[in-house]
Amino acid sequence: MVISMRQVEIDAEAKNPREINRELKTLAKEYDRIILKNPNAKHYLAAGLTSPVELVIEGSAGYFVGTMIDQPFIKVKGNVGWFAGDNMTQGKLIIEGSAGDGAGQGIYGGTVVVKNDAGSRTGEIMKHGTVIVGGNSGFMSGIFMMGGPIIVLGDIGEDAGESIIRGTIYVLGDIKSLGKNAQTLEINEADITDLKEILSTYGFHLEDDQYNQFKKIVPRSKRPFYGPESEEG
Amino acid sequence: MCGIAGVVYKDKKLHPVGSDMTKMLDALQHRGPDSAGFSIYGGLGLEENEYLLNIEIKERPGILETVKEIIRVVSPIKEDEIIPSVEDYIIYRCTISLKSFSQLKPLILDIDKIEDVIVLNGSHSFEMIKDIGYVMDIAERYDTWSKKGTHAIGHTRFSTESIVDRYHAHPFQSYIVPDITVVHNGQITNYWNIRDPLERKGHIFETNNDTECIVHYIADKLSHDYSLEEALEQSVKDMDGPYAYVVGTPNGVGIAKDQLGLRAGVMVENDDVFAIASEEVALREVIDTTYVEQIAPGDVRVYEI
Repeated sequence: MVISMRQVEIDAEAKNPREINRELKTLAKEYDRIILKNPNAKHYLAAGLTSPVELVIEGSAGYFVGTMIDQPFIKVKGNVGWFAGDNMTQGKLIIEGSAGDGAGQGIYGGTVVVKNDAGSRTGEIMKHGTVIVGGNSGFMSGIFMMGGPIIVLGDIGEDAGESIIRGTIYVLGDIKSLGKNAQTLEINEADITDLKEILSTYGFHLEDDQYNQFKKIVPRSKRPFYGPESEEG
Repeated sequence: MCGIAGVVYKDKKLHPVGSDMTKMLDALQHRGPDSAGFSIYGGLGLEENEYLLNIEIKERPGILETVKEIIRVVSPIKEDEIIPSVEDYIIYRCTISLKSFSQLKPLILDIDKIEDVIVLNGSHSFEMIKDIGYVMDIAERYDTWSKKGTHAIGHTRFSTESIVDRYHAHPFQSYIVPDITVVHNGQITNYWNIRDPLERKGHIFETNNDTECIVHYIADKLSHDYSLEEALEQSVKDMDGPYAYVVGTPNGVGIAKDQLGLRAGVMVENDDVFAIASEEVALREVIDTTYVEQIAPGDVRVYEI
């Protein structure tokens, strides 16, 4: 039996974000794949979309693309503004271009992939999930992160892992400087296995010897503000 | 929140920068509904020592003649026009001739003494247009679509710390050096630390608005032979708070972002055009590109022609 994919297109040109998002939520119940044309870097696209639908944004998106999503697979064929994937819980947000500040901010789960560079504070306060940056990631990436890996294939900016509480930042390029409570460790075989699996899933194919060049940023303390005598010290 | 933008044509020739900036600001309208403004450089075509005055006047009998009398004490009025605005105000624009730039600020201060009159700006190499309301309404009122120039900066304002009126609309101008203007998104939290030394040097502040403080700071640095890039770099070290601002000079534009990168700034350029803005949506109005650079915290960018 052949099941054909049900696909539909929306033209965002003359619509505001609220109108677009209402339409997306309605169509996501009937269709497997939605193509959003002429997004023109509008803000809040796909906010709160909670269906397992594939959404292709044919251009750039503005601030908070994919905020609070659960389940959808969103591909942005351009750049995005600040806070892509903010607070998402499940799903995938794949950005073909670059991202502004705070990509993957506060995510509880799912995966955010930025194929090119990301701005400052990538993955800030993320609780779980995965953030991958194909290029460089800026100032204070991983600030206050509480879980999940951030994987940066380029360089990472100043104060990387500032006040990191949980989780790991893997960096293939240079680390400009570390933030408070951050330290670097050598990666091990288990890390390499995980990295290979995650990166190949999202189309990043590295040479074997490149995996040995990753650096790992982790917290010095799990309770940096309350001291070693605290419950989890 | 506020939206800021700048665009430069690299060939130094006249281009429809008024139209470009109108489209850029309309794309940033959602960042600030209170007022909007433009500095459009390079298209005025004034003779040496000629200046364009841009004066807000409340409509009441005799007041315009009083303004003209004060101007005629120091200069003939070569050309003039009246642009109707909103809330019982008109904008009186006139071209005057001064012996030197140093006469401009004293003349402005004299005109400002008239009740219900304030000089929005006086310029030689650029045209300032700013008013309250939406970008497209202002564009229609002042025909920004037809304005030609080499480069421009612009602003949409979401007011925070000071009142909404034409004078507090951006750009702000300084008269420490000729024809420097600033548009700004953010707050300078060590405002008085920046303002005090400038006032002690004798620089005149007309408002408590931090954008005015920035433009005087940059103009003061330029008057001490800093390059625009050096002035912007020094400002990032000296000024605290969340901010991104764009400077326009007769030679180009520049942008600076605070050291924590708490306000937005992106840029794009090709062989012909250099453009900066709060958001990509504005850049796309002037350059069709897939690559947009995020300006890093504490970074500055300058393009001069």
